[in-house]
Amino acid sequence: MSAASHGAACGVVIGIVLVIFLQQVSYLDLSDLVPALIDLVIGGVVGGVLGALIGWVLGRSYLARHSASAATQSK
Amino acid sequence: MPNRRSRFRQPRFTLVAAVFVLTALLVNVPAPARGSPSAASNTPPAQYTVTWNGGDVSSAGSASSALVVDFTQQANLLFSWNLTSPNTADVSDARVQMYYFGFAVATRDQILTNPVPRGSGTIPLSWTPLSVAYLLEGVYRITASFIAANGSTLFSENFYVRDNAPFGVVAILPIVLIVIVLYEVYGLARSGRYAMLGRAPKVAGPGAEPPKSGGGPTETPPETGTAGEGATESGAPPSGGSS
Repeated sequence: MSAASHGAACGVVIGIVLVIFLQQVSYLDLSDLVPALIDLVIGGVVGGVLGALIGWVLGRSYLARHSASAATQSK
Repeated sequence: MPNRRSRFRQPRFTLVAAVFVLTALLVNVPAPARGSPSAASNTPPAQYTVTWNGGDVSSAGSASSALVVDFTQQANLLFSWNLTSPNTADVSDARVQMYYFGFAVATRDQILTNPVPRGSGTIPLSWTPLSVAYLLEGVYRITASFIAANGSTLFSENFYVRDNAPFGVVAILPIVLIVIVLYEVYGLARSGRYAMLGRAPKVAGPGAEPPKSGGGPTETPPETGTAGEGATESGAPPSGGSS
């Protein structure tokens, strides 16, 4: 599992949970089934995309830091 | 290199698969079970009224104008009808239902034992949805229905209530959701460590000591399913973030 896919998985969960949480704090109405499912899907997709981007950036940052430290140790 | 089959044994994949299966099951629920009541077409709606603690529920027809309620407190509803002279209604049941994701999560009935067709009448109903008071909060649609003796719906009205949890936060679902979000945000913040997975181990430089012949195997990144919290700098990811 790469950093981007791990970030996407985390983002999907965060997006879905945030939609339900927004209903709990009265910002959304999830009383009807189909609109609620649409909101959940939108939350999951947006969260997944953002999570993948964040994971990708964090992965590159992690690789850059550790490749630099490895080069320092080899000198 | 991580085994491809091990992905299907991971809890996250199982969760995503369960969400898709649940979604497919919910979409296939037959329409009558989803609870989309409608008023009888031949009955003027103004002749049936429902009040919630003295206030007409017709003023709370949208989520933005929802009644602010406390589910730990008793709600006094009054179902009343007043038809024109020749018409009568054999109301035998006054019912309120609270919907969440299209399903009734709380129902309360006031059933009349000997319903008689009458032109007017009232049915008081007291409701304390304590079963969901400590579980949920937020905006919910509630349907108040007049049920006839033959089981048909004479009239029903949708309105919205906004439940404030006891002390503002004492509800199980929002607390669980906050915990899940914090856990996943932590996993997302640590996801950069997964970038080391699947990469070949670094080849030793010319100044480095050559590996001994007959020594142990070269170090490879561990699989994601076996990585623990005590991961080392060699690229093992944390176990945080799995759900």
